Amino acid sequence: MNVAQQIINGIVLGSGYACIALGWTILLGVARLVNFAHGQLYMLGAFVTWYATTRLGLPYPLAILVAIVVLGAIGLLMQGAMMRLVMTQNLTSLMIVTLGLGYVLQGGSALIFGGNPQTLPGTLARAKVDLGPLWFTWQDVLVLVVTLLLYGAVWLFTQRTRFGSVIRAVAEDPKLSELFGINAKFVYLGVFVFECAAVALGAALVAPRSPILTSMGFNEVIMTFVVVVLGGIGSIGGALAAGLGLGLFTAFFGAFVAPAYTTAAAFALLLALLVIRPAGLATK
Amino acid sequence: MTAIESPRPASIPFLRCAAVAALVVIGFFLPRLLGGTSVAYSTLTTIAIFAVMCYGADIVLSYLGEVSLGHTVFWAIGGYAAANLSVKYGLNGWVTAAATIALCLAAAAFLGAVTLRTREFVFSLVTYAAAVVAYEIAFNWDAVGGSDGIVGIPPLKLPMLVTNFSGAMQEDLWPIAFILLLLTLAFIARFRRSRLGTTALMVQMNPALSASLGVDPRRIRLAVFVISAPITGLGGWLYAYQRAYVGPDMFESYFLVMMLTAIVLVGRRILLGPLIGTALLIAQQNLLSLGGDWNKIVLGSVLALVLIFWPAGLVGLYRRITRKT
Repeated sequence: MNVAQQIINGIVLGSGYACIALGWTILLGVARLVNFAHGQLYMLGAFVTWYATTRLGLPYPLAILVAIVVLGAIGLLMQGAMMRLVMTQNLTSLMIVTLGLGYVLQGGSALIFGGNPQTLPGTLARAKVDLGPLWFTWQDVLVLVVTLLLYGAVWLFTQRTRFGSVIRAVAEDPKLSELFGINAKFVYLGVFVFECAAVALGAALVAPRSPILTSMGFNEVIMTFVVVVLGGIGSIGGALAAGLGLGLFTAFFGAFVAPAYTTAAAFALLLALLVIRPAGLATK
Repeated sequence: MTAIESPRPASIPFLRCAAVAALVVIGFFLPRLLGGTSVAYSTLTTIAIFAVMCYGADIVLSYLGEVSLGHTVFWAIGGYAAANLSVKYGLNGWVTAAATIALCLAAAAFLGAVTLRTREFVFSLVTYAAAVVAYEIAFNWDAVGGSDGIVGIPPLKLPMLVTNFSGAMQEDLWPIAFILLLLTLAFIARFRRSRLGTTALMVQMNPALSASLGVDPRRIRLAVFVISAPITGLGGWLYAYQRAYVGPDMFESYFLVMMLTAIVLVGRRILLGPLIGTALLIAQQNLLSLGGDWNKIVLGSVLALVLIFWPAGLVGLYRRITRKT
């Protein structure tokens, strides 16, 4: 068993987890909102990218842009519909509504894109890099670099700019922040649209690695949940660390124990950690 | 939305009893009133089974205010207990039902203890995570059926003292499903008035008040979660006999979305709400079905639209209309 190769696999996997989880981390961390349709949005992002490249014949970077715009528009619609629940901070209803909307997205995508698995012809997914016995693809490098850049940019934006503090004020108390002249609805819309756009980008980058299916929403992105909770509910650095750590854990567990039980093992890890630290790893 | 059902005046208990008895009798003969075809029997049996499934999740959602995404685990425990014990050991329905209850209580106690300190969406995520773990185990572990599941579950046998009840046909399964539904309704009605039920509601609506009265919210939450599990479990138990097959598809999100939609459609904290909600949804799928993908869109949209536009469900809508006119 090649330990170095497993470390590479782990980082590759982990950067994908972190990339997909970014939108949700922001949504949860700075706006304290939940979106259980995240998995289906990921699926839809992958399918829109696939449709744009294979059916419309657009080049890959342009297809990514199309996916971001389409998903951003869907995010605008979703958040617009849920605005009253958001403003009253009715989290229970929001969870159920997003779950229902995710189910609608899944059924709708199956109608539009059909039930067959498709592959996304990312131009870099087959460009292999060999370093002696080790290998990875240029797509993997792209995911890692984009993920690191995105996390850095988002961290700077939320922590170091005025807009960042405005968003955090709204998350703290939407009613109070409106008294100070902040348009809380606009902020919520912006954060939600960002989440959808970010998951579209993540899908366009990560999906070329594996077949895409309309049913993958609930299961493929489930690791996102683990990343978000492990990382400490909305901590940006925590999510990145949790994503990479989880990737390494998955790679090594799959290689040394049993590939069939990797998801179960990741969740068992999550359950164990929640008993010790209910608020996640990043908290003191 | 937070209005609690005020208990109806108990001044005419006799009339109420008579009305309930009449409803029970009509309910029992409903498949015959609808033509007595085996489609009528199987549809109503399915409604009864799914309603029982929903009532388990209903206790957690309506009285704790938490969204359990892990109730498919208990649903599957019931199905797998019925399948494994009856196919491999030839055990009768009483034993498989007792095993279902015991296993559900144990699983819920474990899951409840792990999630005791988590709330809201972390609770939902962790219960969902538990469902994924259980799915992966059921899918990969051949001892409980593996990815193929277990086929050829024998007809339900419930030996009584003198007679031997057997549910070989859809028509035979209906009385069992009906009685299970009645027992569930009676249990929920009792729970709503019980100390645990009222305390749970108080913890949900006014945590500060309940804390000042010396209530330990964690204990209440654990107790409600644990008693909700066997209800959904027994639904899955009967579902296994109805379908004569059990497989990892019992973890499908369809059942989860079904539970939540049936609960919120009519309105939370209404005794017959989940039953009516289930009946409407199953009737749509069986009689007006537009195909699997469209059913998903219908189910999901109903769930989202009800909560967005009429958070109190159809009952809330009805109240609003009657109050305005």
